Amino acid sequence: MNIETKQCFSVILHALVIQENWLYNGTKVEQKKLEINTKEIIAKYRPVVSFRVKKSIGAQTPDWEDVVNEIMVNVLEKLNKGEFRGESSIGTFIYTITSRRIIDYIRQKSKVLKHAPEPNPYLSPQEHIENKERAEWIAKAIEKLKPKYKEVLYLYYYQELSREEVAKRLNITPRRVSERVNYAQKLLKKVMKQ
Amino acid sequence: MKSNGEESTMKKCMFEDFIDDYLFNRLDRPQREAFEEHYFNCSHCFEKMAERDELITVVKAKGSEIFRDVYAPETAEHSWLEKVVAFLTPQQWAVAAVSAALVLIVAFGILPNLKTEAPEFFINDDLVRGSSIKLISPVIDNLAQIPSAFRWQSLGENVDYRLFIYDNGNLLWSTATEENFIRLSEDIKNLMMPGKEYSWQVKAFSTEGTLIAVSSSVQFKFASK
Repeated sequence: MNIETKQCFSVILHALVIQENWLYNGTKVEQKKLEINTKEIIAKYRPVVSFRVKKSIGAQTPDWEDVVNEIMVNVLEKLNKGEFRGESSIGTFIYTITSRRIIDYIRQKSKVLKHAPEPNPYLSPQEHIENKERAEWIAKAIEKLKPKYKEVLYLYYYQELSREEVAKRLNITPRRVSERVNYAQKLLKKVMKQ
Repeated sequence: MKSNGEESTMKKCMFEDFIDDYLFNRLDRPQREAFEEHYFNCSHCFEKMAERDELITVVKAKGSEIFRDVYAPETAEHSWLEKVVAFLTPQQWAVAAVSAALVLIVAFGILPNLKTEAPEFFINDDLVRGSSIKLISPVIDNLAQIPSAFRWQSLGENVDYRLFIYDNGNLLWSTATEENFIRLSEDIKNLMMPGKEYSWQVKAFSTEGTLIAVSSSVQFKFASK
């Protein structure tokens, strides 16, 4: 997506936020509350929608960001029109809109490509790493882990063995495998925060 | 209860178990959709999944560097010789080497000394490769009278025949002829007794004396002379 298109989507999103505030035409307190809510929705759900879209159509697909922007605009439009009536959670409401848009996208592409894009999260990892500097940090942090955590990460994520296979290989219980993975993640998070 | 660091990472949401399988596309459709709807509503699971996704992405992208020291033998490209060597453990290689040595010792050291004499093959009177002689008469077991002649099928020219008459397995009389029949002389007839079992057989020889054909042995007995 080019910069002009991005700016365009940004303007639309901003306009929708302002419009929403004026539609209510209430007190300053109400306007502020609504603006925060809208911004909160964008801030909270844009990463979730992005993740879902990338997972479904592939992070290497150049269209993914456009699809995310369309979904967010659509969400705000529907909120403005009062289509969200609180029958489900806002998360489920956005999930439904996201799923429909993804299905539409895949159908459109299927007509052209004959085959829908399949999710392939780790086939082209180099393209998938958005922040290379951060990736270097994580890699170094993994290298510094104790062997018992490193070997679990190696077998479970790099070799893609099942939890049971890893457990058998290391002569530990499957539960212990999960615990080591979780603890390794916790250690990495700690290192990254330093 | 243990209280080490690993166990302190308590699970907060039952959907956390789906994270890895979701990221590796191992969930079936209903599970995947349920989990997706869940992480749109559960920031804890989404945050954890995003972290896990980042971790897996780095492991996948840089695994060969990250794990090069500890797991280099498994990840590095092996030469054909290394692959062959890795096929068996050192103990198995030792057993294989000893076994191979034993086989060589037995094959080249012991077996030649145990060599026995070459088997001898010979043709006896009963075992002949080639044509057989068809007997014509007498071929009936019980004859009314003592046969005056014995007749067989001719094998052509330049063949000598020898007739054998056996009395209970013992040779009673034998004679040679170039014809394909023999007439019994009165002397021979006098040697044979009514009711007793006899058999006869013909063998054919080349002019050089080589056995070339043998008939079957046919039994007979006669009621009166």
